Amino acid sequence: MIEDAALLNPPPASAQTVASAIVAPPPKLAVRNLDFMYGDSQALNNISMDIPEKQVTAIIGPSGCGKSTLLRVFNRIYAIYPGMRAMGEVLLDGENILDTGYPVHKLRSKVGMVFQKPVPFPMTIFENIAWGIRHHEKLSKSEMDVRVEQALRRAALWDEVKDKLKRNALGLSGGQQQRLCIARSIALKPEVLLLDEPTSALDPIATGRIEQLIEELKRDYTIVIVTHNMQQAARVSDRTAFMYLGELVEFDATEKIFTKPAKRQTEDYISGRFG
Amino acid sequence: MTTQPHDHLVKSYDEEMARLTGEIAAMGELSAKQLEAAMDALGKRDSKAAQRVADNDDEIDNRERQISNDVLRLLALRQPMARDLREVLAALRIASDIERIGDYATNVARRSMTLNLSAPVPLVGSLAPMSRMACRLIRDAMRAYAAQDAELAYAVWERDADLDALYTTLFRELLTYMMEDPRSITACTHLLFIAKNIERIGDHATNIAENIWFVVRGETLNEPRARRDETYEP
Repeated sequence: MIEDAALLNPPPASAQTVASAIVAPPPKLAVRNLDFMYGDSQALNNISMDIPEKQVTAIIGPSGCGKSTLLRVFNRIYAIYPGMRAMGEVLLDGENILDTGYPVHKLRSKVGMVFQKPVPFPMTIFENIAWGIRHHEKLSKSEMDVRVEQALRRAALWDEVKDKLKRNALGLSGGQQQRLCIARSIALKPEVLLLDEPTSALDPIATGRIEQLIEELKRDYTIVIVTHNMQQAARVSDRTAFMYLGELVEFDATEKIFTKPAKRQTEDYISGRFG
Repeated sequence: MTTQPHDHLVKSYDEEMARLTGEIAAMGELSAKQLEAAMDALGKRDSKAAQRVADNDDEIDNRERQISNDVLRLLALRQPMARDLREVLAALRIASDIERIGDYATNVARRSMTLNLSAPVPLVGSLAPMSRMACRLIRDAMRAYAAQDAELAYAVWERDADLDALYTTLFRELLTYMMEDPRSITACTHLLFIAKNIERIGDHATNIAENIWFVVRGETLNEPRARRDETYEP
């Protein structure tokens, strides 16, 4: 149970400020004393945080701070590489996803991920969406058509591609490809959407579209976004976590982090100063 | 977050912030000098000097416009965050307060020119301690701003009550004088307005102090303040 875990392993006072302008809803993901090792090298050190449901949580910090590693723990994608270990707990609706007994296919259907560089499959736009659905569900052709359309509409891409669903997805622009990847993730009806620098390869217009999309998607999904762009974190997120050298320095309402952070390290980082 | 911040990684950002701080400091000193000059002209019944004070107000207005432009540019080009954001926001507000102080100094100068059209009034001398106190408040607020000293700002904020008390005393004194000699009502009314202008200058120094507190502490100074302007009371 989340409550028990929280009582047994309360997050360290230094890692999480209690005061917050916004009262957070109950956590969708509860991270408890998480350590992560790349072989002998420790990438995450005793992270504890609650990711609130149907809100956008941004993770910021300098390169190598562990923010992408943390995101990768949330859907256990690290498990495909040897020598990587996660210790502690990540509770998704109270169930520890790090348990070897927690099935990966169940996790991946609940937690979708979109990467920095859009990676559409070398197939048609339609198939890019349908392919993942077929792995999880058996649908009739008409049902599949509806699901693909729904996913493309939710990703704000339908109007641009509805007349060329049979064309190769690699012919889409970068911004369209990224929205296709988001559509592909949400087609599986996940509960959590992980976005790893989703706009760093996109121009400002495509970035704006993705940010608008994030705002719309948070009504239905819990979103965690890793970004190097602090203005983007400020624009799109409800809560922001600042990480440094594998530790969670501060995690609070985004408005507080960007106007009056509690920690000197956070202040220095977000205002572009020497730490 | 009361300690002084580190330098920015981008040096020109530091230079722009320092320039903004310098502009505010210069503007603040100019406003204090304007009040001193206006009071000097009043004491010496020197209408030409008073007119120079009124003319110099354009300089303060120009500086305020310059600061507004600088703030706009900093917000657009640097996207300041956290303390930087508070500093930039406070600079805009403080410049506006100093501009008002300049206006009040000009009002003092203009009324002194009107007073010069009639016979001298003996109570003019009572205004000097008030204006000296107001100038100290402005300069201490500016020192607190330059040093980012929240405690000094708090002291300025508290000391405005002394200025209010002086104003109340002078108000009563002038009322008595007017009752004793109705021929002095016109001149004493101008003196009352001058005293009120100086009292308002103290209020703007208080606003500046509140902004410095906000920059340094990241929170508004909202505890109840002793108010000694009791001229509203019967």
